Order: sequence, then C-alpha cells, then structure tokens
Amino acid sequence: MNAIKPSLASRLSTKSPWLYRINAGSCNGCDVELATTAIIPRYDVERLGCQYCGSPKHADIVLITGPLTARVKDKVLRLFDEIPEPKVTVAVGVCPISGGVFRESYAIAGPLDKYIPIDVNIPGCPPRPQAIIEGIAKAIAVWQSRI
Amino acid sequence: MSFFLPVLLRNLFQGPSTEAFPFAEAYTPAAMRARVSFNPDSCALCRVCARMCPAGAIQLEKRPDGLEFILWHNACVFCGLCVHYCDSEALHQTDDWHLSHLQAEKYAMVEKAVVKFQKCSTCGKQKMPAPLPLMAKLYPGLAADEIERLRAMCPQCRKAESAPVQGETP
Repeated sequence: MNAIKPSLASRLSTKSPWLYRINAGSCNGCDVELATTAIIPRYDVERLGCQYCGSPKHADIVLITGPLTARVKDKVLRLFDEIPEPKVTVAVGVCPISGGVFRESYAIAGPLDKYIPIDVNIPGCPPRPQAIIEGIAKAIAVWQSRI
Repeated sequence: MSFFLPVLLRNLFQGPSTEAFPFAEAYTPAAMRARVSFNPDSCALCRVCARMCPAGAIQLEKRPDGLEFILWHNACVFCGLCVHYCDSEALHQTDDWHLSHLQAEKYAMVEKAVVKFQKCSTCGKQKMPAPLPLMAKLYPGLAADEIERLRAMCPQCRKAESAPVQGETP
C-alpha cells in the first residue's frame, strides 16, 4: 500500500460490504433476528452500507447461525468455500460459537471454529438486533483492515 | 391520497423511527435478560447453578483453598435458571447485552472468581461459606449480630448452637 492510491470505485465499494447468511442447523431464532435487523426500519442494518445478497459469490461478510449439525456440515463448508476472499466470518448466537444447549450432542459437528476461521462472535440466544448490528460494525472494521 | 397525509404529517413531526444505534445509545428494556454477573461474597457453593444450567456454561472447579466459579458467556443462553435457583443471591442477570467480540477474545469472555472455604469460629474445621442473604432467609427475624455469629460457624456447631440437645447448655 505504499504510493498507490486506491481508485474511487474501490474506495466507494469498501463502504458497502454485502452480507450473506448461512443456516448451519439453526433453530431459526437467530435467523429471525437477522431478518429483523435487516427488514424492520427500527434497526435497519442497511444504514451501515450492508445489504443481504442471495449468492455466496457476491458476499463480503458471512453470517453463520446454528451449531453446525453433522448433516449440514459438508454443505456449509462447500458454501463457505464459494465465498471469495477477502471474507469476514461472523458467528451469530451461542450455537456456532460453543454449541450452546446442543454442546456435545451426537448430532453436532461443531463448534464452528474447528472447520472455519471465525472473525467476530455475537453471543446470545438469540442476540438482540442491536447486538447483531454491533457485531456487524466490528466485522466491517475487520473487513476494511483486510482489503 | 387523503389517507397518506396524516402519515406524512406524523412522520414529519415524530422523526425517523430507526434507532440511532451504533451511533448513539440503544434503548434497553429494564427487564432485559443479558450477561449474568456473579458475586463471590454471597456464594454458598451449593452448585445448584451448575446443575441447572442447560448449556453447561457454569463450572465449579476445585482449587486448594476453595472452588472456582467459571461462567463462559459464549455458552450462556440467558435463560435465567441459575439466577432463579440461586438462593444466596450470588447470581444476577444484568441488562448488559454488549457481548459481541473478536475471535481472539473468545475464551476471555468468562466470569471467574474463587470462592474460598472458611474456618469454623467454634471448632476450627474447614467449612463452606454461609452467605448473609441465605442466612437471613434461614433465620428470619434474628438480630444482625446473631446472624453474623451463626454465619461464622460450621453446620454442626450451628446446629448445636441453635437446637441444643436437651440437658446440654449451648
């Protein structure tokens, strides 16, 4: 990064990371909170320049919910590999972080950081929308330090 | 068109309904269930919290001079069972929900404290602590200094003191 100044387009694009959601066997509680954070005007995560996208190939920040069940593990890892670098991984809820109430269950392959490098954790069962916004703000800071 | 005007007027005067967080403080309800806090001074080491915790977030580990209370916030599901069953009021649920952290801090999100064993004031044997809130519940209406005296005793000495065998003087 010595003398080369980034172009206007790349400077603008760093202000708007796109979010992608992976459900790794979640109970849907955290997914509802993620939807709430994006859709309900009271919280509105799009103020931070974020937007949910439908394809992993467009994603910058990936939000993973759920304890990574044994059945869904390979699919999650395959999906995660499709997301281009640099990516920032956020674990939403206690399940991906530690396993939560499903810890040490025979059906659980997690915790998630055994397989995927995690950058930001947002504990909670589920975390409230403000906590998710706080975590996404931290993830954006990590992401901007990487590009 | 007419149905829209009141909405427009209301929005003009009320301002946006979006919360300013993270650029300003967020509204937190008074009954918010979030980070659990632990006060080692009122813990009786009964282990009911570790037994009730559905996520196994609470552990009590042996140390030479007592037991260490360990609560990992990354496993806690804020159910409040530990707080509900804690008769000695050592556990409280705060409204602090600012728990998001970087991965490097993952294993530092721990509430930790060593609760020390005590010595009985009468027989000198090692005993579990008898915290004040629990003793006040066990001996309602008793004077404060009397409760303090009973607290310093082990259960056997306390029993001999408060319910002496007939014919013996306490």
